[in-house]
Amino acid sequence: MTFSKKNIDKPSLRFAWHFAISQLKLKYRYTALGFLWNFLEPALYLIILSLVFSVVNRMNLSDYAVFLFSALVPWRYFEKVVNTVMESIVNGEWLLKKMYVSPFAFPLNRWIISSFEFLFSISVAFIIFAFIKENWTIHLLILPLSIIPWALLGMGLGMTAAVLYTFFRDIKPLVQMLLTLTFFTSPILFNKDLFDPNSLQAKIMSLHPFTYLAALFQKPVYQEAFPSVYDWVISFGFAFAALGVGVFLINKFKSKFYFYL
Amino acid sequence: MMDKLNNIFELNNVFVEFEKHSIKRRSLREALGAKLKKQSTEKIEALKKINLKITEGEHIGIIGRNGAGKSTLLKVLTKVIIPNKGDVIRNESKHFVPLLELGIGFQGDLSGKENCLLAGMLMGYTKDEVEEKLQSIIEFSELGDFINEPVKNYSSGMYARLAFAIATDIEPEVLIVDEVFGVGDEFFMRKCIVRMQKLMADGVTTVFVAHNIDFLTAHCSRMIWIDEGKIIMDGDPHEVARAYRSSDTSLKLLKAQ
Repeated sequence: MTFSKKNIDKPSLRFAWHFAISQLKLKYRYTALGFLWNFLEPALYLIILSLVFSVVNRMNLSDYAVFLFSALVPWRYFEKVVNTVMESIVNGEWLLKKMYVSPFAFPLNRWIISSFEFLFSISVAFIIFAFIKENWTIHLLILPLSIIPWALLGMGLGMTAAVLYTFFRDIKPLVQMLLTLTFFTSPILFNKDLFDPNSLQAKIMSLHPFTYLAALFQKPVYQEAFPSVYDWVISFGFAFAALGVGVFLINKFKSKFYFYL
Repeated sequence: MMDKLNNIFELNNVFVEFEKHSIKRRSLREALGAKLKKQSTEKIEALKKINLKITEGEHIGIIGRNGAGKSTLLKVLTKVIIPNKGDVIRNESKHFVPLLELGIGFQGDLSGKENCLLAGMLMGYTKDEVEEKLQSIIEFSELGDFINEPVKNYSSGMYARLAFAIATDIEPEVLIVDEVFGVGDEFFMRKCIVRMQKLMADGVTTVFVAHNIDFLTAHCSRMIWIDEGKIIMDGDPHEVARAYRSSDTSLKLLKAQ
């Protein structure tokens, strides 16, 4: 279903990978601080948000920081994947109009780069956790599995947005708005326990797909528990559905890309 | 069976259409607006009903006036454009090397070397295979240490030399070339032509688009004349060239001058 031979050929796959490596090298080649900067940026972001929202959530700072970072780090990755994959086909014009390359090569390329950068930011989170997190439990070992549905969902929605963006260049702010809406209605910034279980907010959150995706990180990191079967099924369900839609749309419209780039 | 194996390209009833307004209607607002007003999109047929078979070892020259559809045809052959109608069958076991313009698929921020690797990979070679050829690419392109500079800092001549070196150094089996010899100095041009002749003598299947008809008649085994998206004539280079030169359209153009 995902990337069979029909969708992407070996040369395009090699290209997607090596182009990602070249771009990553380029980004950090000319600045001695480049490498450090990549750590600094997510660290500052995490620290500022936790300072502000620990007050709103009426939690002590270090507890709240652990709660916030656990789901914010994968969310930032997800958001980056959606945004960069969305623009990947249009930005790949320099090649797509001149030489054959699978239409999946550029989305895959952006996804690889974002995934590398995610590894940076998760390391930053763990460096901060080293100072503020009291209990380190076995549940943390599940995290490499927890990121998979986030990664696939980002790729799927990103590819869907990439097709739309190719035809409708004014869709970018709309996507941005949807991402913001998704973020603020999900229990990433706000602890779900903050709300009365019968309140509207609590109901929205229980229907929100990102409640389950966030749980894949919040439970092992913050609650020191394994995610439930529901969390896994719903998260993977959404991820595969989005991936299916993305792959389908690219295949359906790929013959028109040339004329719209 | 043998016939099938020797085929490099087979095009059956290929049509390519451009939407005239596809450039304007790139936004949701305008697309919805057009839908509401029920505007129909005007279409331009760039290629009409192309039937073409190219077998291994052929050297094909494509001629025609500007806008006749030559470059579109080459883009169909290189899979950059997927036709609206018709089939394109390619012998995918071959290494197809497109040279549609010099500097094709170069990313300005990356160094010449990295661009070599990426372009080589897209032509179906592995990283090791391209790296093996790197020395002779650098030699042919006369870039020296510049190979490690970002290609955006190259002069147009350097750019062209590198692109040509990549395309011809990595042992193409099918070479698809669009009018690219106009770049670079005369010395380099001659070097390119010598290399092209060598590739052709080695049996590399080549498809050329060029406006220099004398060059094509001297080097091609078959010539195709395209006008308004259709194949007008296909056959012996000298005959096609004669017919093309004496055709009404070119006479009219001469008279107009």
